[in-house]
Amino acid sequence: MAICPVCEYRSPYWDQISSHIRSKSNSSDVQHVMWLNRNLTIKELTEEELTGSLEEFFSLKDGLAQWIRRRFVEKFYGERPHPFILAMQSPTRGVLLGYVLEHQHFLRNWVRVLAAIIYKTDRDDVVRSEMENMEVEFFGFMGRPAHYELLIRMGESLGMRREEILSTPPLPATASSIRTWRKIAETREWAEVMAAMHSLELVADRTLRKYGAKMHYFKESILDSQDFPREVKDFLREGYEADQKHAGEALETVEKYAKDKELVQVTVLRSFDAFSKYLMARLERGMQFEPGLVKVVEAVTG
Amino acid sequence: MRVLVNGEEVGTKERGCALCGATWGDYHEEVEGNELFFCCDMCAKEFRNMVQEVKRRKGWERVEELEIRGNYYTGRTCVARSRGRETKFYVRFGDDGEVETFRDVE
Repeated sequence: MAICPVCEYRSPYWDQISSHIRSKSNSSDVQHVMWLNRNLTIKELTEEELTGSLEEFFSLKDGLAQWIRRRFVEKFYGERPHPFILAMQSPTRGVLLGYVLEHQHFLRNWVRVLAAIIYKTDRDDVVRSEMENMEVEFFGFMGRPAHYELLIRMGESLGMRREEILSTPPLPATASSIRTWRKIAETREWAEVMAAMHSLELVADRTLRKYGAKMHYFKESILDSQDFPREVKDFLREGYEADQKHAGEALETVEKYAKDKELVQVTVLRSFDAFSKYLMARLERGMQFEPGLVKVVEAVTG
Repeated sequence: MRVLVNGEEVGTKERGCALCGATWGDYHEEVEGNELFFCCDMCAKEFRNMVQEVKRRKGWERVEELEIRGNYYTGRTCVARSRGRETKFYVRFGDDGEVETFRDVE
């Protein structure tokens, strides 16, 4: 059933959704206009054009998991990749410290949101996979340190004391994104929460090149380079190996159990917006160490 | 006031929103003595706050020209001009349209 991605007004027909969105746009409704600008086009469309555009945008002809992958690639790895991903191609100390200082908050929230999936689901296979993910990301797994611990060690290897890292509060953009994910966890159905969170693990999925990504999360040669401390390589390698598996399996689970696929789509798009904002926070934190990092933004927007 | 967004002159319904270049919406507001078109009141608020911030930091009386590059996701790198003076900066807005990040660019 067709859906307005902003207020979730439903109709059997996309032309009714188009008419609704155009009416909201004509009265300059902030949320509807912003959705159009961020997801479809900044150039106004006729009702007929918008109908076609919405129908194509939300089409699930290749299934829900593939739709999520395609939209993720478009937003973060498309013609104009996200500035943070561009910065990660040759990460400097500032970029990596920005990563450490903001990502600690992301990971601390991550396990809390996964706990909401566990609380809400009636599926034991989902509980098991979320608990395994929490172990890998936050507690440690099979004698190996958690991703969270590897992150802190990366920060230490770059010259920052553990206490200093842990006592640095998140930037407002990170805090805002975390609020979005917590609201999703509190208000949405568990398969939507699962899709919203695990789709973000696509960021380090090496298979994204198959779906049109212009680059990987970082240059793989970094993992063999002598230019980075071992702790940096340990952190990056761990995420690289874990996230592909996590994202792929979770998206299959969502595809299998989602009762209302359009609601999943809408929620995933909200999560992508929060993720984009959060990745900018990592880069902006990096700018505090290296003001010249603003050039990365210019490289994308210029 | 002359405003360019990603290389295109904007500020009317036909040309696009003075902050983001979008032609959706229908909101007008006077800024620096000029009637400008915005796609929504959030863009208008962000634009006003950005102009105010430039004037406050630089001690300018007015901004005569703005070149804006970027979008909501990336933040915006901008050049502001007034009476032959010029300043370059990076700006990103918070959830309520406030200037959350403002950095001078060399």
